[in-house]
Amino acid sequence: MNRKKGLKGFLKKVYKYRTFLLMLLPAVVYTLIFAYYPMTGIVLAFKKYTYAGGIWGSDWNGFENFKFFFQSGQAGLVTRNTVLYNVAFIITNTVTQIAVAILLTEIHNKHYRKTAQSIMLLPYFISWVIVGVMTFNIFSSDYGFMNRLITAFGGEKIAFYTTPQVWPFILIFFNLWKGVGYGSVMYLAAIMGIDTSIYEAASIDGANVFQRIFKVTIPMIMPTTIILFLLSVGGIFKGNFDMFYNLVGSNGLLYNYTDVIDTLTFRALISSNNFGMSAAIGLFQSVLCFATVVMVNRLVGRYDRDYTLF
Amino acid sequence: MKKSMRRVMALLLSAVITTGMLGGCGGSAEKTKAPAQGAVEQQSEKNNGADISEHVELKMYLLGDRTADFDEVYAEINKILEEKLNASVSVDFLSWGEHDTKYSLLFSGGEDFDLIFTATSWGHYEQTVALGGFYPMSEEFIKTYAPDIWNTVPEIAWNQAKIDGTAYMVPNYQNEFGQDVLAVRGDLMEKYGISEIKNWDQLLEFYKACAADGMYASQKGPWYQYFQSQGLTITGGAPKDGELILYHTQDPDDLSFTYLLDWDGFSDYCYQMKELADLGCWSPDVLNSSEERQIGLLTGRTAGMIWNIGSCKTYAAEANAANPDWKVTLVDPVSGQDKKVNSYINNGVAINVNSKNPERAMMVLNEFYTNPQINDLTRFGIPGKHWEAVGEDQYKVIDESNYGVDSNCNWGWMNENIKRTEYIEDRTALDDTYDAMMEEWNGRVKAEHVYDGFNFDPTNVTTQMAAVEAAVSTYYDPLINGLVSDVEASLEELNLAMESAGIRDILAELVEQAEDYAASR
Repeated sequence: MNRKKGLKGFLKKVYKYRTFLLMLLPAVVYTLIFAYYPMTGIVLAFKKYTYAGGIWGSDWNGFENFKFFFQSGQAGLVTRNTVLYNVAFIITNTVTQIAVAILLTEIHNKHYRKTAQSIMLLPYFISWVIVGVMTFNIFSSDYGFMNRLITAFGGEKIAFYTTPQVWPFILIFFNLWKGVGYGSVMYLAAIMGIDTSIYEAASIDGANVFQRIFKVTIPMIMPTTIILFLLSVGGIFKGNFDMFYNLVGSNGLLYNYTDVIDTLTFRALISSNNFGMSAAIGLFQSVLCFATVVMVNRLVGRYDRDYTLF
Repeated sequence: MKKSMRRVMALLLSAVITTGMLGGCGGSAEKTKAPAQGAVEQQSEKNNGADISEHVELKMYLLGDRTADFDEVYAEINKILEEKLNASVSVDFLSWGEHDTKYSLLFSGGEDFDLIFTATSWGHYEQTVALGGFYPMSEEFIKTYAPDIWNTVPEIAWNQAKIDGTAYMVPNYQNEFGQDVLAVRGDLMEKYGISEIKNWDQLLEFYKACAADGMYASQKGPWYQYFQSQGLTITGGAPKDGELILYHTQDPDDLSFTYLLDWDGFSDYCYQMKELADLGCWSPDVLNSSEERQIGLLTGRTAGMIWNIGSCKTYAAEANAANPDWKVTLVDPVSGQDKKVNSYINNGVAINVNSKNPERAMMVLNEFYTNPQINDLTRFGIPGKHWEAVGEDQYKVIDESNYGVDSNCNWGWMNENIKRTEYIEDRTALDDTYDAMMEEWNGRVKAEHVYDGFNFDPTNVTTQMAAVEAAVSTYYDPLINGLVSDVEASLEELNLAMESAGIRDILAELVEQAEDYAASR
């Protein structure tokens, strides 16, 4: 009796929210196909994979696949690098994206605003492979733009590709350059959603531009900011392979400052095609990411329940 | 309402986040269906020979890119195959950039194909055999379906192809010299007063002279030239493309292995390279440069180029054509040593273990390998259009632009017995140097060392191998190119890293396998 009513109520709700649910459908299907279905392949992390056996027929080998990562002696270094880079990326990205979004909304010349936004969005569509070539042409010793500039002003050449200390800055800069336009779109949307009457009230009360920004805009986009922050924390143990591989390549001199989990795994396994070990590292990263996101989410919840993801 | 909106949004976002988190894991490992098993031995007993009544379309994978006239050439080949074997071949390519990653996916993805190019280490032979991807070729199988191949390929080549007593590929048969030479600017040698570069000391002298003149000498540190001039060579299947563990290939009686960090010669070399790199003998960007090897020579930025003798000749000729005053010539900085012929498994063809027609595939391969008409087609293209025959055993190029001599991954069925050589009309000094060098090399082929055909199987030490590969590049590549700031400290760090990654386990396993191998020969 009760159940039937529950079902009826459920169907009624489905009907009521049909538009929302329809909009949700593509994301759900995508997630099921590309995230949940392949997840069964996690078993590979605990198997000695052979082509003949496939995923299910291969023999189990316990935690053997994880061993190489720790035995390489680089596990601590690359994990630290991965996390620190991601922390740096999250902080710089969030701050600049919000700043750019606010600046863009404060610009009243529509043509200028649109042009500026498009130009900032462009790098997002450039592949990291191309960015890798660009950085080489900027920083190489023989023909690099930077060294040409330095020597033209009478300075000494800097061998960027043998000086690891400068690379964190280069990497952070290019990551920013590539992501700021796209990332600020989210914040722009959030700012556009703020009720204009609040701004009117603020200006009647005599608030200047800065007060409008710091007392109205930023507090109003806080929920979006926190959700986007939590989203990026979800990938904190994953290195952006495309970026690191294309900018640093196989230059061992830079590894102490630039090697991340993904590039190390790639190097270790590219010649042996070991599926089990790559699955193991993927799982290792996912588990750590999951733990981090749950922890951070709980911390956010302590501050304000409404801001949490789940 | 606002609250519920936020909930919906949160749900959506959490779906996105899950995708993001698991996407990486999924991408690297999964999307694999268990390949259909057991289709291996079904009908060989039926006819004990060739039942070719049913038409078969075979699929072959080659490496590289499809040239413009490739399909036209293979249409010609298929005409012959249809007539003789009631079969045809369609070819797909794995490009140079993607074959490292896609080769294994063909097998793990259960792709339906029959023949595939393979080669030791660089062509994924050992790795694929270790994962059970290739069809085992018994002597019986080869003799039955490819009798001409059996009569052509020497026993030593089969022995090289054997892993645990079974061959999984048909190796090519040609004397391909594995040692690189130096294509070098003759005008600069003259300018520096260097008359010959025949040994390590003369090579160093040349490098220093270049640096003093503000020229780069070559692309990077001449590491191979160093150990080769000491009679050493890489060990197949060992870490870092075999470079970490060397053996004395020039001395067949010496069955020991040399692990780099136990060898004083390696640290000597590193100190020498540090000196050269500091002088400016090559670009400090070598580790990041993705420039092709010939660019430096062709643009006049480097005085020399180290590569195999064929490529050196090609690009030397190209450089001379553009700048006749450069007088680019060939020199052999390792001339003191006898010449090693590349192992025959450096090119070859294998059959997919899941092929539905392994017998017919083998018969077709037999034609590619031993039918002069097909072999010539694959090497040169269409007679009258791309090339023409000169006498019985020579060829002349008419138009190389849309097919190219030996440029279409036809290396798996190179056959010394029916191989045409090039007929050259206007000989240059370079041609003479090349011919003289080839003649000298052919006259002093190195005695076989039992390890020349040995390939280390890392199955028992996969963890250590992966750990070593992960740790080695941080120090090794900078060291051999002299780019580290402190050689001694870097050597020590490399040593420690290798010890903790388990290089000793790999060495022990390698020595054991090598002894078994030597005993079985």
